[in-house]
Formats: sequence, C-alpha cells, structure tokens
Amino acid sequence: MKSRTVSLLLMLPALLLLAAVFLYPLLRYGWLSLQASSVLTGLVPVPNGGANWGRLLDDARFWTDAAQTLRFALCSVALELLGGLALALLLHRPLRGRGPLRALTLLPWALPTTVMALGWRWIFNDPHGPLNAAIRSLGGSSYGFLSTPSTTWFFVVLADVWKTMPFVALLLLAGLQTIPADLEEALRLEGACRLQILRRLTLPLLVPYLSLALLFRLAQALGVFDLIQVLTGGGPAGSTESLALYAYLNAMRFLDFGYASTVMLATFLLLLVSLGGGWLLLRRHGLERTTEQAT
Amino acid sequence: MSSSSGAGLELRQLCREVGGRCLLDRLDLQVAPGECVALLGPSGCGKSTTLRLVAGLDPASGGQVLLDGVDLSGRSPGERQVAMVFQSYALYPHLSVEGNLDLGLKVRGMAPRERQRRIDATLELLQLGELRQRRPAQLSGGQRQRVALARALLRQPRIVLLDEPMSNLDAQLREDLRPELRRLLCGREQPVIYVTHDQQEAVGMADRIALLEAGRLQQVGSPRDLYTNPANRFVASFLGRPAINLLTIEPGRQLGLRPEHLRLDDDGAVAARLLRKEWWGHQQLLWFDSPWGTLRVLTTAEAPMPPEPRLGWQRQHELWFDPESGARLAA
Amino acid sequence: MRLLVLLWSLGPLLWQLRTSLLRPEALVAPLLDGNPWTLANYQLVLSGDPPFWRYLTNSTLVGLATTLLTLLLAVPCAYGLQRLRGPLRWGVGLALVAAAMFPTVLLFLALLEIARSIGLANNLLALSLPYTALSLPLAVLLLRAAFADLPRELEDAARLEGLGLGQRLRFVLLPLLGPALASTAILVFLASWNEYAIALTWISRSDLLTLPIAIARIGGGSVFTIPYGAFAAATVLGSLPLLLLVLLAQRSIVSGLTRGAVKG
Repeated sequence: MKSRTVSLLLMLPALLLLAAVFLYPLLRYGWLSLQASSVLTGLVPVPNGGANWGRLLDDARFWTDAAQTLRFALCSVALELLGGLALALLLHRPLRGRGPLRALTLLPWALPTTVMALGWRWIFNDPHGPLNAAIRSLGGSSYGFLSTPSTTWFFVVLADVWKTMPFVALLLLAGLQTIPADLEEALRLEGACRLQILRRLTLPLLVPYLSLALLFRLAQALGVFDLIQVLTGGGPAGSTESLALYAYLNAMRFLDFGYASTVMLATFLLLLVSLGGGWLLLRRHGLERTTEQAT
Repeated sequence: MSSSSGAGLELRQLCREVGGRCLLDRLDLQVAPGECVALLGPSGCGKSTTLRLVAGLDPASGGQVLLDGVDLSGRSPGERQVAMVFQSYALYPHLSVEGNLDLGLKVRGMAPRERQRRIDATLELLQLGELRQRRPAQLSGGQRQRVALARALLRQPRIVLLDEPMSNLDAQLREDLRPELRRLLCGREQPVIYVTHDQQEAVGMADRIALLEAGRLQQVGSPRDLYTNPANRFVASFLGRPAINLLTIEPGRQLGLRPEHLRLDDDGAVAARLLRKEWWGHQQLLWFDSPWGTLRVLTTAEAPMPPEPRLGWQRQHELWFDPESGARLAA
Repeated sequence: MRLLVLLWSLGPLLWQLRTSLLRPEALVAPLLDGNPWTLANYQLVLSGDPPFWRYLTNSTLVGLATTLLTLLLAVPCAYGLQRLRGPLRWGVGLALVAAAMFPTVLLFLALLEIARSIGLANNLLALSLPYTALSLPLAVLLLRAAFADLPRELEDAARLEGLGLGQRLRFVLLPLLGPALASTAILVFLASWNEYAIALTWISRSDLLTLPIAIARIGGGSVFTIPYGAFAAATVLGSLPLLLLVLLAQRSIVSGLTRGAVKG
C-alpha cells in the first residue's frame, strides 16, 4: 500500500503534464465543436447546437480530404513496410561497415520533415529540378510532378516513404535481432532455401514487430501535416490536402475555431476507427498467437 | 512468555499472500544467536519469501519477526541491520570491490577514516585485498561470492541471511567453500538463515534444518532428526539420496524403507529380481523388481548376488505413513 | 545493394549539397562560361536578418531544455510505473503507447489557446513544455524497459544497506541506466529539433523561430520564387548538427529504439 502510493506520487507530475497536453485538448475540442467561434462571433464561443457537426456531414471538402488522407496513409504505410523490411533484412546481414551504413540510412528519419519536404520540392521542380532534367536528357519532356492533380499525391507518398522507411526498418531490425540464430540454422539443416526461411520462420516471428510498425505508422500517416503543408500546400487543386491540413487551415486561415475543432475531433475519431479496424484485422490473423511464440 | 524474552530471531505466524495466492502460511521458527538454520525445500516452497520477509524487503500479510524479543515489523530494511547474500550476489556492477563495500557506509554518514579501516579489515579477513580495485565483471564466480560476503559482514549485522549463496558456483568449489562459510558466519552472535534447495548443502552448513513445502513448514530439527524421524512422507522422500522406497503392502498404510536399510537376506520378506546395478565406487545401487514394485537397495560394492535374491529389513527402520495425507503413523 | 541503399538514403541530401554550392543561374541552365560553383548561398543565409545561426541556437536551446525536462519527469515516472502492480500499471502503459502514437498536429489548436491565455506564445523556452509532454510517452516507455532490465536484487541490496529512494536512484540505478538515458535523451532531442506544428503556431517573432519553421519560411511563398540555392544552403547547415549527432550516437539510437520496440 505504501509502496503503491510512492509509485503513484512519482508518476504524478508526468501524468499531469500528459493529461494537460493530450487529454485537455480532446475535451476542449469536444466543447468547442458545439460552439460557433469564428471571426463572425468575434472569436467568442457561442453555443450553436451542433451546427458544426451538421456542416461536417455536408462538407464535401472534408470527405474528399478524408479519402485522400486514407489513400495517402495506406499507400505510404504499405510501401514503408515493404521497403523497411527489405532494408532491415539487408542491414541485419553481417556486412562490412554495417554501423555507419545503419547511421547513414537513418539520416532521412532524423532530419526535420520540413527541411526535406523543401528538398523534394526542388527535386520535383518543373522544369529545373534534377528529375525533370534527367527526363529531358533521356529525350522526354518535363513532367509537373507537383502540379498534376491526378498523380501528385503519389509523389507525396514517395517523399514520406523516403523519410520514414528507415524508422520502420530499424523497428524490424530490432525484431530480427530477437530471432535466435539457431532457429534459422535448424531450418537450413533441413534443406530450406533462403526464401523458405523468410516465409516460414522470419516473417511469422516478425509479425508482432510488423504489427507495431503498421499501427504506429498508420496513426502518424493519418495525421500527416508538415510534409504536405510544405511540399504542396495541399495542392494542386486540393488534391493532396489532408484532414490535419484542413483543420489547420480552418483554424489559422479561416479563423473558425469551432469548425476547426470539429474537424480535429472527427479526424481523431476516424483515426480511432481505422486503428481499431487494423487491430481487429491483425488479431483475426493470429497476431496474438505469434506474439506469444515470439516472447 | 519465554519466547518473547528469548535472544535471537523469532518468526511468529509469519504469512505472505500475493494476489490471493498464499506464498507462506503461518510460519513459526526460532533461530538462536549463533545458530545456523537452513531453509530447505523445492523451488517455490516459500524459502526465499521467508528471507525477504525477515529482511523487510516485502511486507508480511500477517505475523511478526522478532529480534531479541523486539518486533521488527514496520522497520525498513535499512533499519533492521540485516545482511543478505543474494544468489546473484547483487554486486553493483559500476563500482569497484571497494566501492561496493563503501556505498552502504557512506550513505550512513560514517567518517571516511572509519570506513577505510573497516573495509581494510574486511578485505583482509576474506583475502580480497588484491582485488579491491576490480569491477565485479572482472572477478570469478568464487571471488564475487566472497565480495558479497564481505559486503554483508562489513556492516556488523544483527541477522545474516543467505539466499542460495553457492548455487552459481561449480560443485567442487561449493564443497570447498562450505567450511570457510561456516567459519565466517556461524558461531558468532548473529542468527543465520541459510536458504538452499540442496540437501547436502543444508546438512553441511546448518545446525538445524527447516523443511518447507508449498508455503508450509513441514518439520524443523537437526539433520539427523529429520532423516531418522521424518514427520511425514514429504520430509522422508525429500531428504536422503537415493530416495526412500514407498511401498503399499497393506491397505490403509504405506511403508517407507530407505535404500540403505534394505539388504539381501535369504530369510527376507520378499523375493525380488535384479533389474540393474549402478556402481558408486564404495557402494552400489541395486534396482529390484518385486511384487511391491521397484525397490532401490544400497549395498556395499562387494556384496555377492545370490541366484534367487530375497530382501529383508529390521523393524526399527520401518516408517509408516497414511497413504492419503502422507502423515506419519505410529509403527 | 549497399550502394543502392546509400543512393536512396543520401541521394536527395547530396543533391541539396550540390544545389547549395551552385550559382543561381547554374541551377536553371548549364552555364556556358565561368565557374558554376560558389559559396554565395551560404554567405546569404548566414548574413540574413536574423542570421541563420540564430535559428540553430534557438532550436538547440529548446532541444536542451526539452531533453532536460523530459528526463526529469520521465525517470521518476518510469521508476514508479515499473514498481507498480495491478491493473493500473497495465492501464498507464496502454495510455502511454496510445499517446506515443497520437498524431500531435491534432493538439495544436487547444495548446495554442492555452499558450495565449497564459502568455506563453512567442516564448522560446515555453515551447519545451508541450515538447516535453510529446516526448514523455516514448521516454517513459524506454526508461521503464531499462529499469525492468536491472536485476531486482541490486535495488534490494541497496535497500538493505539503508539507501533511501533518492540515494538508490543516484548511486545505484541511474549510473547503470547511463546508456538508456543517453539514447532516450538523443531521441527526445531529435523530436524536439524537428517539431513543426506547435512551433509554427506558437512563435511568430522571426528572431525566435526554430530551425524547421525558419527553413519553411525561406521556402515560403510560391513555388517559382523559392531561392533554392539559399534554401539548400540552409538545409545543409541545419542538417550538419544532426548528421554529426546521428553518426556519433548511431549505436545509442539503434539500441534505444530496439529496446523500446522489444519491450513496448
């Protein structure tokens, strides 16, 4: 009993700060989303009986953004997992200079998103960027990587994958290191080839780590903001706008705090639903069983 | 009451329960000053639990720990003046041998000169002087154990607790260290509790043995007591190698016969067929098939084997048990 | 294979380096005359108003304050959590994982409101408060795993010798936690260095900007007017400290994340 009190006291400062920064905003949004609070009301909250939520349901831009955010998140997480797995397998092998190699591949993850977002903007520049220069030198004509509404989103995905793949790789590398080497040796003695080992041994044992990476990255990708704000600003023609960016614009450009709160909360709810769905899906495919085996 | 005024350590109705599971059930035990009592039993029987309760590392769910008649409940581990040697030795890996000894003295605010004097004396006693600057990782298992002992003795404890202090050492070293450990620890004024799962070690170290199983005390007494006069079937079968033969030869009673008390005897009560022999040097262990089941018999190595062996024993060696409860029955 | 990986990871960075060293005209078309290489971009960035090193200092200050504050709060919290038993331990652990995954941009509006109401907007060091909160979940999870790795008997031995909680932490536990503290500190520093949404909304005075915001501002405006050369120079300057940090602390970062992943 006494020791329990001590534990709780030790945790209290951190938990209070966490509650203030994570819990309070959600409650505040819940309240604000039921208020009109914009330039029209002089930024003073006035209850408007759920009008914000009604507006949300009819807001085509919100739903378009939701679909675009989901598309972005699913594609980039899928590519990150694939690429991250390949990278992790490579880095796991006893190569010469593995330490520096790991550090250098980690670098994109360590740099500020905004910095590299602007870097990519230059690389994708039409017509002066290196990619277009390369295309032209091969005889093609310049391509508007960031100005073609139907394809720009994919290049945003590419930039995101470049930045976060090292993180996924590192996580999976941690998983690979927990697999005892003698398991692989045992399988090799039975004549399994490398592909079989990967499929029958490595991947099943990696499932908990893949799931962790998947859920973590999915949550982050669904809240994508800085990359898009700097790389495309949501354009061209709103084709890359994400929910978080829309919420930001509502608050900081349209100065409509009530509706911005509604969008944030709705984004959070969509996030919960997606993650919950992902979690259930993983469980149905025997995540827990493999987790137990791995630990 | 004689017990409350008695010197030494007394555990009275000591209990420990965690999450509805009873780890230790109303243990009563007394350890006189200078006496070494071994807590013996299979793993999970509550012996380490008892030690942690005496040290004050875990709170008791009931009962008392008395030292020289004074209740220690409510005192922190640091206030109890208890020394403990852990199975893992629990040496601070980032401190040198000297640093390991010094930390406890330092935080108690002892003057540097006095600290140095005590450390020097203890290192001397344990012949650790040359290792004083080494880190635990640079020591052998036996050396680490000695440092742990030094750390325990340095504080002039009023109780000494040893939690499987030798189980991380190899068998030869364990045997060599036993007299040394007795010389250092036992026969001084402190009561000593020695936890082990190894009966040989218990017999070798302790004045008395307390045998525990599933959180319950089974029997306390001298090693000879427990061996010749076990309180129940568990005690009889836990002590003694090779293990006692348990035979059901009549309804309602179970007969226990130690392998060394069975012998080849032409007039013996039971006919047996030799299954195999284990050669043990000066002795041999014989395995017999009999109408009562398999029997283990320990004989001298030279004993010749008759063509149709029969086995017998003396009445005084019979140990009778209740087949259900395992309780000892009168002969 | 290795070469391909390096090209993928470093290519864009090296291109920035090249860009930063070219004269602006050379970016648009191959120069017919003269040397295309120049350091002018760096001069431009470093002599700007406020000069570029100002942002570096700002980010470093916030990063250090955040790291310090995070460790100060996370160490006791992790220790308490590790000692706690029962459903509360499970619940707090789950809440921490959830908070670690939370996309932090969704918090900025309410945090901005708080900052404005208690006068913390445009206060550089005040940024470390939300940053600390954002870093705490991961830091606590990492440190709790590190505490769990220490043998319980070590602390028991210290208790028997009469060391109080503070003494145990100071003399026994924290010295053994050195590597874990280092890797946690580095991860916290990185997160603080790179944070965008909160800094963007809290800080408007140009001399108080942190690096990511300052760089984004250089690149602000329309796609066609970005001074890419100067911007690339800023990127390179802003990346150098991180490059050094990652190279020096590679082992520490990897082991920290690894441990977090294994235990989390």
